[in-house]
Amino acid sequence: MIKVEGLYKQLGGQQVLENISFNVARGEILAVLGLSGAGKTVLLKHLIGLIRPDRGEVIINGVDIGSLSEEKLLKVRHDMGYLFQEGALYDFMDIYDNVAFPLREHTRLSKVEVAARVREVLKLVDLQGVESKIPGELSGGMKKRVGLARAIVLGAKVLLCDEPTSGLDPIRSRDISDLICHVSRQIGSTTVMTSHDVGNALRIATRLLIINECRIAAEGTARQLKESKEPFVQEFLQAATS
Amino acid sequence: MTDRLLKSVYAHLHSTGEAIFFLGNICSLIARGRVRWGAVLDQMYEQGVQTTVIVILTSLATGAVLGLQGSITLQRFGAKEFIARLVALSLIRELSPVFTSLIFSGKAGAGMTAELGTMATHDQILATRAMGVDPLEYLVVPRFLACFLVLPVLVIISEFFGIAGGYLIAVTQAHTPGPFYIHETLEAVGYVDFFSGFIKVFFFAVIIAWICSYQGFFTRGGAVGVGRFTTKAVAYSYIAVIISNTVLTKIILTFWG
Repeated sequence: MIKVEGLYKQLGGQQVLENISFNVARGEILAVLGLSGAGKTVLLKHLIGLIRPDRGEVIINGVDIGSLSEEKLLKVRHDMGYLFQEGALYDFMDIYDNVAFPLREHTRLSKVEVAARVREVLKLVDLQGVESKIPGELSGGMKKRVGLARAIVLGAKVLLCDEPTSGLDPIRSRDISDLICHVSRQIGSTTVMTSHDVGNALRIATRLLIINECRIAAEGTARQLKESKEPFVQEFLQAATS
Repeated sequence: MTDRLLKSVYAHLHSTGEAIFFLGNICSLIARGRVRWGAVLDQMYEQGVQTTVIVILTSLATGAVLGLQGSITLQRFGAKEFIARLVALSLIRELSPVFTSLIFSGKAGAGMTAELGTMATHDQILATRAMGVDPLEYLVVPRFLACFLVLPVLVIISEFFGIAGGYLIAVTQAHTPGPFYIHETLEAVGYVDFFSGFIKVFFFAVIIAWICSYQGFFTRGGAVGVGRFTTKAVAYSYIAVIISNTVLTKIILTFWG
């Protein structure tokens, strides 16, 4: 479903990603972990073509998106959902219009069908009765839920979540992590999420990937990572869970 | 030192190239008919509402001041009856197009940069792309076209109220008969006078829309960045309007004087 091969990226003259290669199978949840500034978000933006690689390939559903024109990329993105760290909701629209936006742009659904789909996804993220509010009236956690609803409203085959639990308390972090897991299974999407929240990532991800000094330091299931002899991986996991 | 200079030159060349590419993309979208007319109308309303009252007040005052100064100066030469011509021609050929453009860039242009800048710093522009929608088409083209369509209308409003300001002064202070003032105004302003001023407005509209939307679209640096880029957008568009007015006036007078 997702294949990254020999990815290199420099930003502002500094190497951010170096020889990154990994695969994500259909239906998997891959968590990308690493220190702050390790390049997790940059990697995630490559997966949706918001950043182009200097070298290497990013293949989504058999298409190398790094070589596509922006116009073709826009079409590829119809099948993808991206949850931004702060939600990135349009603050000039209410919640209903925010969630309905991708439907109005990319489908020919009637007003009634749009309304039904918006209600359905808001119910899925456990957020009902907020349709007429504006993003400024919602808490950080609620904004993330709306962002998630908007990301999946078209039935994203690939769901990318950038730090979905950042800035949330432990209970809400757990809830949103469970929600991503639940939603991914419900809509059958392949999910890649970046996170600092090691505990929840170990819990919900089918596979994890740790980035250190621009490279992949370790990759595997939660159990494989816990048993890793790599000093950085041990230190990272210990520091995160202590 | 040389290294820093080279870096600065490179950065300026890069941003100039980026700005030209940005304008090219906007023009290409418009040429291909990728225009959301509903959004254009919304933006026209926004930009018009933001600016109309200020334009009316400024134009009334400008016309009035022209009338006051003109009546005193012309009286010295025994040419007080030319006051209507002075006010109308000054406003229509130069003052209304330039003043209105400056006011527009300070109000609607700044608003455009601040809006786009806030969206940029909150990842909303990136989110638009991530949702498979071209942010230039969705966010910039409507603002750009609205600017192009609203500014000329505002200039006509400005000319009307400017002349009205001059009329009020001429009639009440200089005791010029009202019908005579109107007749003189209509007599004085020919097609060439009107269009030599009006053509420039379309250039100013493109300049303001281009600079303000470009600065907004590429804003970075959070709330401080929004302030900095908005100030920059207004300063750049003021300078660009003033300088391009000089060049355009020279060109127009050469061919159409």
